[in-house]
Amino acid sequence: MTTEPCWHPDLLRRFVPTPYVFSTCDGLNQFFVESNDLEIALSARRSGILHRQCSQERGLFCRLIRDMAAPVDASEMTIVSNGSLRVLCLGQGTILIYDRERLELLGFISRNVRVQELISSLIPTLLRG
Amino acid sequence: MLVFSIDQIALPYSMDLCFAGAACELRTNYSQLARMLENLSISKDYAVPSGFSMRVYVEEASDAVAGEPHFRGLHHVVTASFGSSNLFVFDILRRTVSARVSAAIGRDERFWKEKLIPITLGVLGSAMGLVPVHCACLELDGEGLLIAGVSGAGKSTLSVALSEIGFNYVSDDWTYMSRRGNGIMAHGTSAPVKLLPDAVEHFQSLQGRSLQRSMNGELAYEVDIVEAFGAQVERVCEPRWLIFLERTQRAEAIFTATSHGKARTYVNSSIERLPSQLYEATAMREQTIEAVALLPSWHFQYGGTPQFAANELWKFVVHRRQEIYA
Repeated sequence: MTTEPCWHPDLLRRFVPTPYVFSTCDGLNQFFVESNDLEIALSARRSGILHRQCSQERGLFCRLIRDMAAPVDASEMTIVSNGSLRVLCLGQGTILIYDRERLELLGFISRNVRVQELISSLIPTLLRG
Repeated sequence: MLVFSIDQIALPYSMDLCFAGAACELRTNYSQLARMLENLSISKDYAVPSGFSMRVYVEEASDAVAGEPHFRGLHHVVTASFGSSNLFVFDILRRTVSARVSAAIGRDERFWKEKLIPITLGVLGSAMGLVPVHCACLELDGEGLLIAGVSGAGKSTLSVALSEIGFNYVSDDWTYMSRRGNGIMAHGTSAPVKLLPDAVEHFQSLQGRSLQRSMNGELAYEVDIVEAFGAQVERVCEPRWLIFLERTQRAEAIFTATSHGKARTYVNSSIERLPSQLYEATAMREQTIEAVALLPSWHFQYGGTPQFAANELWKFVVHRRQEIYA
């Protein structure tokens, strides 16, 4: 008989619930957004650049977490890319990841980053590469 | 905005390394880092079949020391930053580490030995068939003894005491398990032994040494077990027994056989839950955990000095071996 494991706490915040989910289909291209923040989820769903990315790459899965526990620190922006993975950091608290091969846009957004900045500046900068 | 395309920057220093059973193909632009990691590397004889690659770009003009650590993970990607100048990106599916660090980090051996290598093994281990288990490991004539217990149970002091009476030292805090055929292998790293301040009462060779603030903020002696105690070190062994430590007030040594379920629960409690995207790594990890859980295991209640407990464990191992080989 096996029992449900007693897991280590979720220190990486991988399993933050994301109740706001939107999914649309344009032909064969599926555009999927999930977030723990309604404003982020709605803005991502309406984002032209994300829809264009979805059409060009034939699909896009976005999981964006508003991270209230993340440090709010200096706003130096760094992008590190290797192969199909591209990571944008704004300070330490905001981290956006785009995997071109897996068509996934993942991220933690610290509380000092406004949704407008995320959608119109950070995400376009990340995807531009 | 700073942009680092790790796959397009020239990283002329390239070498094949191995840390605790994980083969590592390193590329960097910083010769000091390459030399330092080469010194921490061990033989690849018992490395698991899947290794990882690490690309480290060192910004020679930056001398920013390691800041507060910040970890996050989604799907197959984990990031670790130590201040805004030092960023590590772990891709678990592709088994890669991409990093941009300062020159201060590039030459900080303690950072790599105590933080980055254990973190890398912890994050990517599941994709390579290596499972980190919070236990010490000692070896005697090729047979390994795993010693598990909560922090403060005495794993490190007992490891030193056992190494003083003839056991070979593999690890004192975290041990990395892999499967090999039908059995399992236990791998150690080159991390120093960490002993709490009261250990000086039991080990004369700590006298005259100073306490250091360890990475988790605790005040402790952090020593190289070979240099401080003259211990023999093995980097890998085949574990035979699993012991759960419990300190008691009386000078006694009581061994009680425990269930496989306890071992399984213990191992699971020290590892991260993996997301569904990593189902292959999860399945591989479960097989290794099951192999660890099937080891004969005992609850060891002990009091008195670490030397007393070590002698009792020595007698226990000798007795078990006589039973096996009789």
